[in-house]
Amino acid sequence: MRHPVAFIILVLVAVAVTLPVIALVISALTPSDQMGVDRWLPTTFRWRNIADAIDFIPFWQLARNSLVLSSVFGVLTTFSSALAGYGFARLRGPGKKALFAILIGMMMIPQIVTLIPTYLLFSRFNLVGTYWPWVLWGIAGAPYAIFLYRQFFASFPKELEEAAILDGAGRVRIFAQIFLPLSRPLLVTAFVLAFNAVWGDFVAPNLFLNSSNTTLAVGVSSGYVDTAGYPVYNLLAAGALLYVIPVVALFLIAQRSYVRGFANAGLKG
Amino acid sequence: MIHHAAGGRVRRARRLRESLAFYGFVSPWLLGTVLLTLFPVGYAFFLSFTNWNGLTPYMPWAGLSNYREVLTSGDTLQSLEKTLLLVAVVVPTTVLGSLVLAVLLDKRIRGRIVLRTLIYLPAVVPPVAAALIWKTVFDKDTGDANRVLSLFGAGPVSWLEGNASFVVLIIVLLWGAGTGIIINLAALQTVPSEQVEAAKMDGAGALTTFRHVTLPAISPVLLFQTVLVTITTLQTFVPAILLSPIGDSDVVTNIPNANRVYMVNVYEQFFAYSRYGYGSAMLVVFFAVILVITVLVFRVLGRSVFYAVDPTESRREG
Repeated sequence: MRHPVAFIILVLVAVAVTLPVIALVISALTPSDQMGVDRWLPTTFRWRNIADAIDFIPFWQLARNSLVLSSVFGVLTTFSSALAGYGFARLRGPGKKALFAILIGMMMIPQIVTLIPTYLLFSRFNLVGTYWPWVLWGIAGAPYAIFLYRQFFASFPKELEEAAILDGAGRVRIFAQIFLPLSRPLLVTAFVLAFNAVWGDFVAPNLFLNSSNTTLAVGVSSGYVDTAGYPVYNLLAAGALLYVIPVVALFLIAQRSYVRGFANAGLKG
Repeated sequence: MIHHAAGGRVRRARRLRESLAFYGFVSPWLLGTVLLTLFPVGYAFFLSFTNWNGLTPYMPWAGLSNYREVLTSGDTLQSLEKTLLLVAVVVPTTVLGSLVLAVLLDKRIRGRIVLRTLIYLPAVVPPVAAALIWKTVFDKDTGDANRVLSLFGAGPVSWLEGNASFVVLIIVLLWGAGTGIIINLAALQTVPSEQVEAAKMDGAGALTTFRHVTLPAISPVLLFQTVLVTITTLQTFVPAILLSPIGDSDVVTNIPNANRVYMVNVYEQFFAYSRYGYGSAMLVVFFAVILVITVLVFRVLGRSVFYAVDPTESRREG
């Protein structure tokens, strides 16, 4: 082995960050009567906890809401960010420099600074309690993704579109038929980032949605309490595990493209 | 002459069409920004001069009194102090940690992909689940943390209460901070290998090569990361409220005092006390703080990150 020290350090770090997840899996499978007991492992694993966790809250309903919201936002933001990224990378227009400065500045505005005022505004237009905020946010795109697209699109030679223009292709066609197909890894990166952001978001659904249409993030974090109001820890852990699986799976499936998307964006700076 | 004028007109028409295309492509983002960012920020700015409670049809004018309170309230300044302490610990650790891990993962090592995946994976775990995971580990009576301590005859520690909860909050934030590793790995792959080889030929050691070749090449990425991590750490909110001892997440008041960071305070002003004006003033002040810190980071660590060549401006590079 060529780098024994590096290998040992990495294995230690990998174990350290994985152990807490294993602790969650263990408590998810612990029978209720052993929950308060001070021991490393329960005497038996109770697999029925998984089914019970699904029945304890309207799990499938909440999961469907999360899936719809994350997918709608993910698809919209992936494409509208690509549009804006193309505009900033390949087209000239008056005021472009100022707009790009605004885009960079937007990355510095914490989401939460705009979230509460947005809530106040949306409640005036009766948009609270609907999925419209996510559609609007999706159409607006994500500054971070726009920046990645812009870096990527800017790296292509000018001839690429000049030839197409001579052939009579319009900008939309150039974008859709040349640039978009070339940016597949980046599309994956943008989609995974956006999907995970909404799937994992707790604040916005908590503010904008109600119990009938809220997401799994809210359902899991507040749903597992018994009639006396105490949390049911083993089912809570099982529910959290089920809630995490889709985003981890999505990442594992998309991993190669996801990592390449970052690399493609020419992040060497 | 006529030919020339026609050429000019054609060129102008083409320019106009390109400008229209530019605005067409960026318009979803532009409209979204105006409606969903600039307008709300403006609205908050306006509200910060009122004492509105969110219910009354009129908004009592407050002048600068909210700002005076933000800058003098011990409660608010304390929460700001805690937030800055959090940044001081989390940002350097995250940036250095992800640099070291990325450099190690960049080496040819057995099981590299598996190790990379395992180390990065916590970054995709949503905050709700992350908070729960660490609550399980740090539970006073049944958590593994105290069980490990008891092996050494120490503890038990009430991790989720008092000052210890701040330590847990830091651990939660560091655990989920793996995104930088992926970005660094991508950046390391773009370092020209000829330069690294040349440095080695000149007899430079691994550390010298890293300092004089690799580090300058990836420094813009590190700066970019430092800014992003600083901003996200400043707005820490969800892990802080979800680490509160009892499962009811709506109760902001359950949060141990040590974890009452700035955004928790803001949220409480809005939704527990209905102080929309004061909460808005807190947001405006916070935005100013973020701006100052961002500018400082740029000043101290370097100038330009966003360098990539714009092909519409410099044709030679295009």
